[in-house]
Amino acid sequence: MPFVSMTVNGVRQEAEVEARTLLVQYLREHLRLTGTHVGCDTSQCGACTVHVDGVGIKSCTALAVEYDGATVTTIEGLQHGNELHPMQRAFHEEHGLQCGFCTPGMIMSAIDMVRRNGYDLDEPTIRKQLDGNICRCTGYHNIVRAIQAGANAMRPR
Amino acid sequence: MHDFVYHRPQDLTSAANLISGNPEAKLLAGGMSLLPSLKLRLAQYSDLVDLKSVATLQGINRDGDALVIGATTRHAQVAASDDVKQAIPALTVLAGGIGDPLVRNRGTIGGSIANADPAADYPSAVLGLGATVITNRREISGDSFFTGLFETALKGGEIITAVRFPVPLLSGYMKLPHPASRFALTGVFVAQTRSGVRVAVTGAGSSVFRAAAAEKALTADFSPAALDDITVDPDGLTSDIHASAEYRAHAIIVLAKRAVASARPQ
Amino acid sequence: MHGPVTSTRIGQPVPRKEDMRLITGRGRYTDDLNVEGQAYAVMVRSPHAHAIIRAIDVRGALAVPGVVVVLTGADFIADQMKPIPNKTFSLHPAERPLVNSDGTPAFNVPDYPMPADKTRFVGEAIAMVIAESINAAKDGADRLQVEYEPLPSVTFTVDAAAAEAPRVRDEHSSNICIDAQVGDAEATEEGFRKAAHVVKVKTWIPRVAGSPMEPRAAIGEFNPQTGQYTIHTCSGSTLRLRRDLSLVLDVPEPQVRLVIRDVGGNFGTRGAIFAEQPLVAWAARRIGRPVKWTSERGELLLSDYQGRDLAVEAELALDANGTFLAMRGSNVGNLGSHTGNFSMVQKGVEIMSSIYRMPAAHFRVRAVLSHTAPTRPYRSSGRPEVIYVLERLIDLAARKTGIDRAELRLRNLVSLSELPYENPFGMVYDSGDYIGVMKRTLELADWKGFPARKKEARTRGKYRGIGVANYVDTASGIPREKARVTVYPDGSAEVVIGTISNGQGHETSFAQLVNEWLGVPFDKVRLVTGDTNIVDVGGGAHSGRGMRLGSIVIWGASNRVIDKAKQVVGLLLQKNPGDVAFDDGAFSVSGEPVMRLAEVAEAMAIRTDLPEEFRGTLCAECDETVNVAGFPYGCHACEVEIDPDLGLVEIVRHTAVDDVGRAVNPLIIHGQTAGGIAQGVGQALLEHAFYDASTGQMLAGSFMDYAMPRADILPSFITDISEVPSTTHPLGIRPAGEGGITPALGVIINAVVDALSEFGVTHMEMPATPERIWRAIHGKQQRSRIVPDAAEQEISLL
Repeated sequence: MPFVSMTVNGVRQEAEVEARTLLVQYLREHLRLTGTHVGCDTSQCGACTVHVDGVGIKSCTALAVEYDGATVTTIEGLQHGNELHPMQRAFHEEHGLQCGFCTPGMIMSAIDMVRRNGYDLDEPTIRKQLDGNICRCTGYHNIVRAIQAGANAMRPR
Repeated sequence: MHDFVYHRPQDLTSAANLISGNPEAKLLAGGMSLLPSLKLRLAQYSDLVDLKSVATLQGINRDGDALVIGATTRHAQVAASDDVKQAIPALTVLAGGIGDPLVRNRGTIGGSIANADPAADYPSAVLGLGATVITNRREISGDSFFTGLFETALKGGEIITAVRFPVPLLSGYMKLPHPASRFALTGVFVAQTRSGVRVAVTGAGSSVFRAAAAEKALTADFSPAALDDITVDPDGLTSDIHASAEYRAHAIIVLAKRAVASARPQ
Repeated sequence: MHGPVTSTRIGQPVPRKEDMRLITGRGRYTDDLNVEGQAYAVMVRSPHAHAIIRAIDVRGALAVPGVVVVLTGADFIADQMKPIPNKTFSLHPAERPLVNSDGTPAFNVPDYPMPADKTRFVGEAIAMVIAESINAAKDGADRLQVEYEPLPSVTFTVDAAAAEAPRVRDEHSSNICIDAQVGDAEATEEGFRKAAHVVKVKTWIPRVAGSPMEPRAAIGEFNPQTGQYTIHTCSGSTLRLRRDLSLVLDVPEPQVRLVIRDVGGNFGTRGAIFAEQPLVAWAARRIGRPVKWTSERGELLLSDYQGRDLAVEAELALDANGTFLAMRGSNVGNLGSHTGNFSMVQKGVEIMSSIYRMPAAHFRVRAVLSHTAPTRPYRSSGRPEVIYVLERLIDLAARKTGIDRAELRLRNLVSLSELPYENPFGMVYDSGDYIGVMKRTLELADWKGFPARKKEARTRGKYRGIGVANYVDTASGIPREKARVTVYPDGSAEVVIGTISNGQGHETSFAQLVNEWLGVPFDKVRLVTGDTNIVDVGGGAHSGRGMRLGSIVIWGASNRVIDKAKQVVGLLLQKNPGDVAFDDGAFSVSGEPVMRLAEVAEAMAIRTDLPEEFRGTLCAECDETVNVAGFPYGCHACEVEIDPDLGLVEIVRHTAVDDVGRAVNPLIIHGQTAGGIAQGVGQALLEHAFYDASTGQMLAGSFMDYAMPRADILPSFITDISEVPSTTHPLGIRPAGEGGITPALGVIINAVVDALSEFGVTHMEMPATPERIWRAIHGKQQRSRIVPDAAEQEISLL
């Protein structure tokens, strides 16, 4: 079985995994980081979004072995100690979640959106760029507000 | 999915050796087409050969009057590239509309055209610009590359290395997104190339095709109004629960007009 | 939409407590849990809509390395396991069960979690492969040989009602399970005789898949020493599910422990027991180790309880002034292949006349079986369908009479002074300012400014339309609920209650109640639900009962805590308990503060000089049965802009005014409304669980074909809250959860039809896809919604 080594949330992890192990399976089952979720089987819902080498990807459509040597950040790795990431805080303050299942993916996707588009995100941009993340509870209304506020709060002071 | 042996060659020759003579071996680039089909157990392979470490497959280069895009270049890179935007802005639009932003962070042009999904966006650009698909063995004209439903002219052991897009005079791409999959329910790429007008349609048939009547009309007059009396025959077009062949035939003309309108420099 | 937070009491938009674990990836959904020694189950599902299961050959599957066992429906029955109990009708005292016109009982048969004889829908689980890993289980499933004998099937509602339709159940003479009449036939006929105008609609509200984002899952454990089952799963109910599980597993209730932690949405898809829940428990007993099962999205779309699916023919009679005289018609609801729950057709027809003055009404109501996935209540069970029907009729009536659509509605809305108002089906609406709320909606939607916006859109080649729709919801649900409130010496409080939150924010809103009533700090209130070892009475969350009943029993328990504490204060300070006052967490006598609530709790815990009945924990229970229903109501408006060349619809504005009686947490309420609107948009424009009538296959088996609404097709909403206290709730509360979706189908379709009116379009079926709109514009025949390439037939229910 292939040997995979990657840094996940700042901690170096090593394991022997079957080549067919998806990155999301590696995170959830091997590392017991269950914050990243599986919501669909066609790579559409985005609940599995993580950052690999600083870029957002859908971890359900990636193999762990592809990322040997990579740096991975999951939802569990966003905080600094007790301090929430500004995007996390924004989702809380703007009530951008209800059942919470899509939320880790939404937050990770939103942070990648800022990386691609900057801190000043307008509503049309947010809505268009969120087409890879599906939510069934919120109607997206507060998610858009949260991302706008979170992006603004991510601006370096 | 079924298990396989994973390989990560560092150069093209090694990659070619790994797949040569082994029909059970499959190339992996961004994985956005391959992995979903493996997950659903629609396919299985003994070996996956990951091309991401083959540096020569990466990159976007202007080569005279052509734009050459390496096979493992990500959609996000194409969409963000100034070179692409300057040379072929319709390609920027196309690449920026594939899937969603997260899919675009991984998906590649080589993977997309090798898969030849009948509703994928890139095939319409390959056909619509008269591009050339460059492999490790030869060059294949875009006109001959897509041969059927998920079928291409690629032979066993052949690896796409790049796609060369001749820079057109004008080009436009308009896509009607499928309401569920967000692939192209119908997508039309129009270009006034140096060797004539091309109108390439994706999402409407079993493979990308050119709309001859529309090309003829636009050759005489490259304007939306030129298509006023042009229709596409629904016969042979795709009909499914989302749209009939008749609607797709109608949409082709509407999208072609809008693509032509967008091709005009502002 | 809501102001800043100034406290954590009732009425404040307090950000939620449950968020902290959910935004940091520390939620506890069922698949997140792993149990030592667990094996994994994969379900094998029927590829046929209707077939005899001739034989299941497990040998190939068993030979796969890692496969532990293969279990079938025959094994289940051989083990003396019992079928899943059915609910049939809502037996809430404020509602009426439907009764067959011929006096016979409603046809109702229980179903096994896995059938042994026949399969009756594509996707039905017929075998369970259990292995050391999911991949091994899938390999085993691939090698399972099932011999089917396919039979003719029927999927479409109206076809299923026909006498000659292939029967789902051999025990019954047809697929019709209930054939009832409601209302007053004579008075209705009189109304139609007098009518100056009659309008009619024939429509089919298609099948949808609720599609919560969390795939359903269950983990079963069995302890052979104690004979106790433990099931971890996602559900909308705790005790009712435990009871149903105990019936299926055929053990006394105390032998089943049910644990529900975080649930990733429900909307009704997991309100009732589902097949895999008892199966994993039974399997765990069989193989002597825990069994874990998690579904994949494709399985969910096929085998979750689905929603809606109602065929209606209805007519509205009006006099020359546009006053509603009567309505009549026929509703046929599709139960799918199980007689699990008929309440959708019941809950729909009982408010068929909505909040308009309707002197008479008469409806025939049928529920039919078909070879499709079973249906169960899906968000606002039965009501979006019927509200859509009436609102369509009203728009058609406006066109016919020439009376303005808004004016016609205002004229016929029940006025303040007429409430309580009994509708023609016997439902008594308690209170509400229907006219005031509608006027507010028209104002917020800038109804008056629409003609100018419509004109401007035309200059860009686009067609705008606007719709308005009123609604009422019946909030009933299981009438009994219980809460136990405990206050601890450290100043914290715990609420144990039988409701369960699947995203509605109970941890927060219930904490606000306790903060208000007992003065316990918001951060120190804990909500305990979802574990039957702790919770012993209650009905879960559905039909808006979570806040409606939860508030009543928490209030009752809180008051008893205060009364008990006053007694203790009186004893400790030698005062008359009647002279002890309580406010905001503190007791006072003659205006002088004497003790805090937490101090009373401490005294009860440690003082040995108190009488025995006042020693121990400071806690009280309240167990109430609420036999009245609540009636949330409201008005929504929708404005659309249509691209006529491609038929694309853009929702440019969606306005909602919803009356919740008394808002506990406006932040949560607005959130619920937004989510409901989005689900309504989904059904109106995008979603369809498409059963191909000729093959019985459900063709929207993944998100590649089942079109879920994404952020890019929705606008931001304008939502407003009205608070006219409900007179049937001690605190005035009306539940908010379903108001977003109830008027949505009607208001969106009315807006689309309005946009297309100059093309002569008078009606539009759902989903109003771009092709459907394009065809309507050009007067082309519509494509069938039940056979992909055929043309639409007019639905005839008679």
